[in-house]
Amino acid sequence: MITVKNVTKKYGKFKAVDNISFEINDGEIIGLLGPNGAGKSTTMNILTGFIEPTEGEVIINGYNISKKPKKAKKCIGYMPEGVPLYKDMTVKEFITYMAELKGVKREQIKESVEQAIQDTWLQNVKKVLIRNLSKGYKQRVSMAGALVGNPEIIILDEPTVGLDPKQIIEIRNLIKKLGKNHTLIISSHILSEISQICEKVIIINKGQIVAVDSPEHLEDTVNVEDAINIIVEDANNKMENIEIKGAKKIDLIKKNDDNTKEYRIIPEKDYDIRKTIFSDLAKENITIFELKKPEITLEEAFMDLIKKNEKEKEEKAKQIAEEKRQQEEKKQQEKIEKREQKQEKKNNKKANKKKGGKK
Amino acid sequence: MWAIIKKEVRTYFLSPIGYVFIGLFLFMASMFFYADILVTGSTMFSSMFYSLSTILIMIVPLLTMRTFSEERKDGTEQLLLTAPRSVTSIVLGKFFAALIVLLIAILLTLIYYVILMFLGEPNIKTSLVTVFGFILLGAALISFGMFASSLTENQVIAAIISIAFYVVTWIGTPYLSSSLEPLGLMNMFNRFGNGQIACTEVVAFLSYTVLFILLTIIVIQRRKSVK
Repeated sequence: MITVKNVTKKYGKFKAVDNISFEINDGEIIGLLGPNGAGKSTTMNILTGFIEPTEGEVIINGYNISKKPKKAKKCIGYMPEGVPLYKDMTVKEFITYMAELKGVKREQIKESVEQAIQDTWLQNVKKVLIRNLSKGYKQRVSMAGALVGNPEIIILDEPTVGLDPKQIIEIRNLIKKLGKNHTLIISSHILSEISQICEKVIIINKGQIVAVDSPEHLEDTVNVEDAINIIVEDANNKMENIEIKGAKKIDLIKKNDDNTKEYRIIPEKDYDIRKTIFSDLAKENITIFELKKPEITLEEAFMDLIKKNEKEKEEKAKQIAEEKRQQEEKKQQEKIEKREQKQEKKNNKKANKKKGGKK
Repeated sequence: MWAIIKKEVRTYFLSPIGYVFIGLFLFMASMFFYADILVTGSTMFSSMFYSLSTILIMIVPLLTMRTFSEERKDGTEQLLLTAPRSVTSIVLGKFFAALIVLLIAILLTLIYYVILMFLGEPNIKTSLVTVFGFILLGAALISFGMFASSLTENQVIAAIISIAFYVVTWIGTPYLSSSLEPLGLMNMFNRFGNGQIACTEVVAFLSYTVLFILLTIIVIQRRKSVK
């Protein structure tokens, strides 16, 4: 089990990761999703003990990775981004070295290395120098390095980046296979990949967690109420001014090449608009080619969540700026009032003095 | 630590670096053997090592410049630092691997001692003490070279920093301050010449070595926090 508690990583004033907390249970396959520069790799580097968080703690199977790094790291197999490898070694030498580094018992090394080679389909190239391998193979070698010694947790940073479609499918199958008996954390900015492999998704944007949920749930959260998408043939552009009973909003989504148009109709709450669409459009001689419930992809969900997050941040920043402005105005006002009061007091004193002098 | 030593020694001999280092070392040793011993008709085996010490400061960076900078540049330090190994064992592993390569080169120079035995009667005690001092000097140079390598991801810069430091501790100390003169690495090594193990110098060499090993560990630990 992995517990991340209030982890922050600062570089000067810049926060690469900002107070994130989450838990990953044994056997889960987790996708760490976010646009480039969102803080995915920093989070992974903190999880693996490669870098220390500025604040907060990471607990791996009960061991704090900063306080008991050896025990915590023993539970983890890590494939870093960019696939760093010792290129002058053969595949087998590299995996053996990784096994030795991980402290696999001497009598188990041979078996463990063979197993990792088999799991990653590297039998044919095990005696080949790593520098002579293709990118797909290198990726697999790096994965074998993470797998060797059979750690409970496997962390893969951008495992399919830079691969051709065939290699992507191979690596994806391998990940699925690994997911059967390991806890897996995969980072990616490719949404389709995550939605195919992962049970749970953690979406990160600008160092903060935007959402933690299953891909299906995330898609549902941004599903537009009971919206209906229709494709129509509307030669006289009557859709622009049409009134459909129960429709709150009608949006043109796209114009197709075959002179048809796709609209999204959002009905009023709890109103089944399908019947009225048919009847009202028929009255206007608009032919319906297709009527369907729109499918929101994880991609849309992701973009939506990120937009929402950025909007919230902007609003917060605006609110803070407004509060500051108001406070400053208030201070200014108070200063003016104080100055006026002082002036008044001075004037009063002068007046009193004058009066006293006259007396 | 053994896994790292094994891998590092292997890497030295998988790349040309190990062969170039030993080759240069033996070539210069043969030149000094000829010039200092054969030409002068001396049986002072140690004199070859005094001349070799000046060459050592130029070639030790060959062994040390890549220790950490290459790992940093290639990103393989991620593999090392996420493995269940302490930074101390990683640093010591790399240190001993470089020392082993130096020891191999020194061992090979013993052929000249055998040749010398045929030509005369070299003093074994003085020779052994000098070799011992030479190993200590080598260890001190390696530890600083490794420290320089931990500071940058550019191997050439690491080598330049190392050579600059070695030159300062060789000829620069009297210019910096007369009180620093006895602490010059070469001055310390020269005191092994009378066949007596100089305890102060042994302690000083070991202190140099331990200091820079510790500094390397600190640099790597610190980078984990600021990286």
